[in-house]
Amino acid sequence: MINTIYIEEEIAEHPRTLDIIKRFPNATKIDCKRYGEIFNRKSQNFRLQKKKPALILAKKHKSLVLPTPKQYGLGAEHNYYFSHMLNCLYDCRYCFLQGMFQSAHYVLFINYEDFIVDMQKLLNQHGEQSVHFFSGYDCDSLALDPVTNFTEEFLPFFENNSKALLELRTKSTQIRNILKRDPIQNCIIAFSFTPNKIASSLEHKTPNVEKRIRAIIDLQQAGWLIGLRFDPLIYTKEYKKEYAELFTHLFSSIDSNLIHSVSLGSFRLPKAYFRKVEKLYSDEKLFSSPMEEENNNIGYPAEIRENMLDFCKDTILEHIATDKFFPCHDSNQTITS
Amino acid sequence: MIHLFCALSCEAEPIIQHFNLSKIKEFDLFRLYRSEDKNISLAITGVGKMNAAAAVTYHHACLSTFSADIWLNIGVAGHSSLPIGEACLINKITDNQFGTTWYPQILFDIDCTNAPLITHDAVSYQYQDSLFDMEASGFYQMALRLGTAELIHCLKIVSDNQQHSVENIKTDYVKKLISKNNMKIVQLLNLLKPLAKELSSINTAPKYYQTLIEEYHLTKTERIQLLRLLNQWSVRFPNDDIMYFVRNVKNGKSLHKKITTKLIESDFIIYD
Repeated sequence: MINTIYIEEEIAEHPRTLDIIKRFPNATKIDCKRYGEIFNRKSQNFRLQKKKPALILAKKHKSLVLPTPKQYGLGAEHNYYFSHMLNCLYDCRYCFLQGMFQSAHYVLFINYEDFIVDMQKLLNQHGEQSVHFFSGYDCDSLALDPVTNFTEEFLPFFENNSKALLELRTKSTQIRNILKRDPIQNCIIAFSFTPNKIASSLEHKTPNVEKRIRAIIDLQQAGWLIGLRFDPLIYTKEYKKEYAELFTHLFSSIDSNLIHSVSLGSFRLPKAYFRKVEKLYSDEKLFSSPMEEENNNIGYPAEIRENMLDFCKDTILEHIATDKFFPCHDSNQTITS
Repeated sequence: MIHLFCALSCEAEPIIQHFNLSKIKEFDLFRLYRSEDKNISLAITGVGKMNAAAAVTYHHACLSTFSADIWLNIGVAGHSSLPIGEACLINKITDNQFGTTWYPQILFDIDCTNAPLITHDAVSYQYQDSLFDMEASGFYQMALRLGTAELIHCLKIVSDNQQHSVENIKTDYVKKLISKNNMKIVQLLNLLKPLAKELSSINTAPKYYQTLIEEYHLTKTERIQLLRLLNQWSVRFPNDDIMYFVRNVKNGKSLHKKITTKLIESDFIIYD
């Protein structure tokens, strides 16, 4: 799977680095000073690199935990996101990462302890108030979990801090590490969905809808809370039929009582990212549709967007209580997982 | 197109013969060679990174290269322990003078040693665990300005090591080392060609773009918009003739409006 591993000199002897390297005995190891030497260089082509991404093991020095964009959240006043990884195993054509990064390589920041220190500082800063932390903004939270041990290292922190809430956003079925643990009520495993036909066309290399539902059932049976994320909503001529079928199937397969939250948002990308992705995949049907520019974002024309959001909201609310529903009408880009 | 760069004539000769390249007489600052179909070219850069960088620039200026072209530096290099004649695809280039590093992106499986390389400013007799040469950093740095990282590579053949010193290297010996690796060069190029083809297909302007910008007076922004519209058209209506559709259009603004209207009026599609 991974043929090349770049390793920052500073963390070359970190136990987590050594552990990860052991898992790829045949990979070529190349040392580097900072991951940006590889990841941020110009003249790279994301589309070509996506054919064989390398793994870069690095240390994150600053901005480890950042405030989320406004209106992005699940009802708490204090919302932050963090990314232990950059880039994703999957290859979703609508993903903003293709427009944001020069490189398709996976960067794994192995200094988890520094992330946790920063989270603790934020908890201290906000006193008794609830603080939500979102993972899965710049990567899929679980797709590489068997290699990164991300959940094993981060979940104990949340187990001991009940006023902190963690959302792990994913399309992955890599839930073994989570199932090994006792469930905690302040961790939401949030699965992203699009209807089957759309997923097969746009969500390359991802587990199919059925497999994701199976993973949810297993997690619910073990007592974990689940989130459902319909972001991005993708427009097709048949979207009402396709989304209605997805919602019916999903809500009839899983336990609605163990759903923590449902959110949705229409497909949109910042203009610069959209233009870059459109060039990379000029043969992709999604980008050949007449999108519109609004507030420096490119997305569906307002009428289509609002109709789609209204329809999906109304249909979802047939299945869940209003207080579990969090529409995302903001102007920020579609998040990755 | 494929652009090959060698520092010395004795490195280039076996490649020139293998690919049946002919000297291009009109260019004489650096010796340039090209295949009859013009798909493969080669430059003899002379020794040193400055020469290598200058030769890349000259090559580009003389032969009009494209960002989806393949760029390959081929030559001999020293290493402390790798066996003589071993072909190595370089995965890290360090400029010894400035400490700058580059990481060629190897996106394919090739039966070939991957190794780091240090480019020195003078002949080095101090063997290390890295390969060392005198051109790669100059070549790579300049090629990166003109091409795409995934298509720019350095293939080095080990010519000397601690047991077999650089002082023993003669011209015929170098020729033999390169000749023996001709098939490795071909193998590498064959692995790079599909990547170049894919990149070229992304970069190529859609059909009739050139015809339309010659026919209509368009501003720079309008040309960018037209490019985008024609791309959308080719994805949405691959069987419809755009030239027939716009046959009565009188000016650039009407052209833009007519294509846009047709695209907006048609359904959004994600799959067939």
